[in-house]
Amino acid sequence: MTRRKGMFRQVLERPLGVVVLSVLGLFYLIALFADFLSPYETSDQDLQKTYHPPTAVFWDDGGLQVQRYELADPEVMGYAKIEGEGAPIQFFARGFEYRLLGLIPMDRHLFQVEAPDRIFLLGSDETGRDNFSRLLFGSRISLSIGLVGISIIMVFGFMIGGFAGYFGGFFDSVTMRFIELVMAIPGLYLLLVLRSTFPEHLSPAQTFFLIVLILSFLAWGGTARIIRGMTLSLRNRQFVLAAEVLGQSSWKIIWKHILPNVFSYLIVAASLSIPGFILGEAALSFLGLGIQEPSASWGLMLSQAQDMKVFMLNFWWLLIPAAAIFVTVIAFNVLGDVLRDIVDPKQKFLNR
Amino acid sequence: MRDIRFSKVFRIGFAGLAVFFCACGSEIESEGREEHPLPEGVDVVERPPGVAGDIFTGTSAGTPATFNPLVAEDATSSDAIQRLLSGLTRFDPVKDEVVPSLAESWEISEDGRSFTFHLRRGVRWSDGEPFTADDVIFTFDAIYDERYPNRMQMEFSVGGEPFEVEKIDDYTVRITTAEIYAPFLLYIGTAILPKHKLYEAYENGTLLRAWTISTASRTPREIVGTGPFRIRSFRPAQRMIYEPNPHYWRADQEGRRLPYVDFFIERFVQDQNATMVAFASGQSDHQAITPDQVAWIRRNAELHDYTVSDRGPSTSTSFIWFNQNPGSNENGTPFVEPHKLKWFTDQRFRQAISYGIDRQGLIDGVIFGRGEPLWSSISPANRQWHNPDVKQYPYDPERARELLEAAGFERRADGNLYDAEGNRVTFSIITNEDNRLRANMATVFMENMKDLGIEVRLRLLDFSNFVNRIMESFNYEAGLLGFTGGRDPHGGMSIYSSGGRLHVWHPNQPEPATDWEARIDELMQMQLRTLDEDERREYFNEVQRIMSEQMPLIYLITPNIYEGLRNRWNNIDPPNMGSLIWNLDEIWAEKRLLR
Amino acid sequence: MRTVIARRLLALIPMLLGITFLAMLLMSLAPGDFLDQVRMQRDADPDYIERLEREFGLDNPWYVRYFLWLKNVLPWDLRSDFGYSFHYKVDVWELLGQRLPATIILSLTSLTFAWIIAIPLGVLAAIYKDSIFDRVSSILAYAALSIPEFFLALLALFFAARTGLFPLGGFTSTEYEFMSPIRRLFDIAHHLVLPTIVVGIGSIASIMRIMRANFIDNIRSEYVTTARAKGVPEGIVMFRHVFRNAINPLITAAGFAFSTVLSGALMVEIVMNYPGIGHLVFHALLQQDQFVVLGALVMGSTMLIMGNLLADLLLAWNDPRIRYD
Repeated sequence: MTRRKGMFRQVLERPLGVVVLSVLGLFYLIALFADFLSPYETSDQDLQKTYHPPTAVFWDDGGLQVQRYELADPEVMGYAKIEGEGAPIQFFARGFEYRLLGLIPMDRHLFQVEAPDRIFLLGSDETGRDNFSRLLFGSRISLSIGLVGISIIMVFGFMIGGFAGYFGGFFDSVTMRFIELVMAIPGLYLLLVLRSTFPEHLSPAQTFFLIVLILSFLAWGGTARIIRGMTLSLRNRQFVLAAEVLGQSSWKIIWKHILPNVFSYLIVAASLSIPGFILGEAALSFLGLGIQEPSASWGLMLSQAQDMKVFMLNFWWLLIPAAAIFVTVIAFNVLGDVLRDIVDPKQKFLNR
Repeated sequence: MRDIRFSKVFRIGFAGLAVFFCACGSEIESEGREEHPLPEGVDVVERPPGVAGDIFTGTSAGTPATFNPLVAEDATSSDAIQRLLSGLTRFDPVKDEVVPSLAESWEISEDGRSFTFHLRRGVRWSDGEPFTADDVIFTFDAIYDERYPNRMQMEFSVGGEPFEVEKIDDYTVRITTAEIYAPFLLYIGTAILPKHKLYEAYENGTLLRAWTISTASRTPREIVGTGPFRIRSFRPAQRMIYEPNPHYWRADQEGRRLPYVDFFIERFVQDQNATMVAFASGQSDHQAITPDQVAWIRRNAELHDYTVSDRGPSTSTSFIWFNQNPGSNENGTPFVEPHKLKWFTDQRFRQAISYGIDRQGLIDGVIFGRGEPLWSSISPANRQWHNPDVKQYPYDPERARELLEAAGFERRADGNLYDAEGNRVTFSIITNEDNRLRANMATVFMENMKDLGIEVRLRLLDFSNFVNRIMESFNYEAGLLGFTGGRDPHGGMSIYSSGGRLHVWHPNQPEPATDWEARIDELMQMQLRTLDEDERREYFNEVQRIMSEQMPLIYLITPNIYEGLRNRWNNIDPPNMGSLIWNLDEIWAEKRLLR
Repeated sequence: MRTVIARRLLALIPMLLGITFLAMLLMSLAPGDFLDQVRMQRDADPDYIERLEREFGLDNPWYVRYFLWLKNVLPWDLRSDFGYSFHYKVDVWELLGQRLPATIILSLTSLTFAWIIAIPLGVLAAIYKDSIFDRVSSILAYAALSIPEFFLALLALFFAARTGLFPLGGFTSTEYEFMSPIRRLFDIAHHLVLPTIVVGIGSIASIMRIMRANFIDNIRSEYVTTARAKGVPEGIVMFRHVFRNAINPLITAAGFAFSTVLSGALMVEIVMNYPGIGHLVFHALLQQDQFVVLGALVMGSTMLIMGNLLADLLLAWNDPRIRYD
């Protein structure tokens, strides 16, 4: 454990590390408080305000007001400001009910506007849902998909790779052949087939978990191989041989002696595979196989904006999920890079 | 188009690249046509004569799967086959009636069961072989052959009896049906196959593996037909180039053989974004356009000289239904929980749901106001069969609440709806995930139901899973689905009749479960057994009326169809229903425009 | 050397068996079959569907179908039959063959594109390690990797539409058939530019990182110090020695790139209407056109093994120290 602390301290010593850690920290904080920060639920629609541009906010009557708009050109969903008209923004006002951090029942939100007026900080989508709220709620899925995924990869990758490397022989070669087999099937197609074998009647949460599981199934092989290689070289080191002579069980040796030695590599490998999960979820959404309506994820939102009219009619706010994905993926890649420089400066194992 | 400014340097740099790559302004030259005398039985078209030449470029969503009419299951393949092969009759969508095609004329016997077709004389296949009654006999032999399962076997039988097809002489064929079969003339226009080309495959049992996309890409001339075009080249997933059939049997009043165009090029596309842009920048002649894209494509209409026309509501329908199947699975578990089945089989419940759906809001908000609410099983696009006097359910949450109250439901203080026994009203709805509009309908429906205190959960399934649930396991509560509309109501037989497979709310009933379903069964049989169209319409209007009152299928909306077409094309005669360019053989271009 | 090739090819057999068996098992787990499309049509009667089921052999359980397929595939009479596509009624091999050229061309151009950009950048980043250039180039490479591919493809289309410099998707122009051979070549090249960039841009980052790391590793090694001590000019040290050594792992990586040939460009194929194999297989999977899927997997894994083999041969050629026994 002391190793890990050391690792993070080292990250904080590098300017790039500080930048990406704070960006990611901010994102995760927002995701955590998404329901408090969003004025609306992900499914809240207003069919009279579809494709609404971001609403302007101005100061009047001693408070912040949200600009009122009218539909000026229904042909192209063009909205025009109604000059001088606004609705007061209420802070810490009541809105939909939720549980803060999943625990405390609440109905207060950071800001609200009294219906029928609406506040769309980042515009609205084709059924008049608040893009801002969906982006915040979507961040929960898009940001957690990688974390859940790498936990699965780390557990499986370590267990299988560790055992294969430690015991060697028949078990080793069977596992390695199986990994090669899985890696030889084009990942995307494997995903598709697995996706269609989902059992019936799944809640959105279960679907989410299954998608993560599938994405991890594609990725654990690589991690397992790295761990196996490292275990193989650790296996004949003095301290492992000593432990064996002392009659410690194999399980204990792997747990006590091998794991601490590969742990930091595991962390780096994991952080480098997070972007794969985020982009993988987006690709699945594009093919209609990802997170489903009315839930939101960045990938789903972006795949819905995959449309010429968004460009041609200038509904630019619908492209914000792309920016969110972009920043997050870069941040994770840079973080992984920084970690790798610390843990494996010569890139012996983590050549990816 | 809105202009995005690129920096000058950037532009010049790329312009250089462009010159390097594309030698723009290229023109396709026709190699000149084969000259053959017109057949004796030539069909002279009524529309004014035009000028031959030019190229028509269109797009089609998807690649043809086959050029074999016995195998074709999808619209893209059928469309292609229609350009290559003719039938005995064809449907003229402007006149709204069946008109002569390979058969010049026909007589109907007194009892309405026997049709004598007189074939056009002197017609030749595109390879020059003569077309005779033997080809017609061969086609029907192939259709009815046990070795070759195909969908026409069912279309061409009535009460389980196949038609009797006999050759009178080389140019006369008589077809007799066991009973009167209302859509006979419409269906009989199936593609006639060339005996001289396909007899060998027919004999050795490989007929279904003949005329595949490989034939088209390797030996396009092997696919011979009597249609306006033959294949010049076919590239899977890219495009197909048609050229005029030099033996086509139609000509204009000046005796010029049709079609006018030198080439008809059809591009196959997977994703519409690219082709919409291509049309809007003047790179193609025709494009089907979805309602939400109309606005920006119209902006370029003047620049590239095209028109985007509103072709009215589409023929496709979309609806929500509740599973009313009272059966149970092999473990004895009912398909639908008993208290829910009670709601679903209550007419007032279904009507209330219908009043609770904001169809106009969906149209105005999601598809830019370019669509129509649907009240009947036949879309208003099908003017011939649509009944405008069915019961309508405009958005009225108040009325919905009243109906629910009358049916014993109660809205409690927590805002949720409960039935008389105290069960919370909630159900899940399934749909397949193939299109955006459908997903939007589903989410709007969910929100509308929330306003009534009903909680709806949405499950998007892949196609196979969806079909499996609604047709085999019956393990679902409500569904959302759409059908593409056919022309004749007979095509909806398996939806309306209680024993039908697509009677989705309660399929394959041995006996009709309700009186109104029994009445519909009766009406559907009656409309089938008469050739009098007005009489049929009366029966079918009643079917639509019953459906709208009972609401087994709660119809939603239908988007309008838009078609973009360049203005240089003449002899365009917009039909009530179907594509603008239905008469590809007759259209011609005023002048050649340089691209 | 010859035994190495033979051994690799032999190893292919159990792998192919495993993959196809696994694929068939998974496909059978998914509900429904190819005929679902027909079932949903309003005018298909049950009898017709039953007869189609028999025609396609779908009335047998999946393992029976698998072994029947296997029996046909094994070259008893020196001929393998990989079955036919239910949807197209065409021999699977021929169907795949129609789409293969476009796919291979795109994967070659995108790989080349990625190498041409990434290798010099990697080398420069290694030479000027920890400089601003090193940092900026790596962040740029990550940026390229961070846009979902389907969205990047749409951006490319939008760019083509705005500037009119590139064709709006596809593999050839409509006029292709009427062009002279040289014009045809240019036409294809013109169509390939955007898809190549979109597909290739994602792999730049990883190639660059590998190149940089290997280069750094080799600069520090003893033989470089020796060479420099001997007074060999710096340029020759870098390129004759360091570069040739540093590129070895990349050659291995290139062999693995063949594993993505089948599905790697799927998004681009869909968005840019590129007539590749990915889309064909994607649809075959959705429609459960099973023999197409099996055939594609056989093709894909064979290509992967061949790619690895080729990479090893290249490696041996580049680095005479490497010997296979």
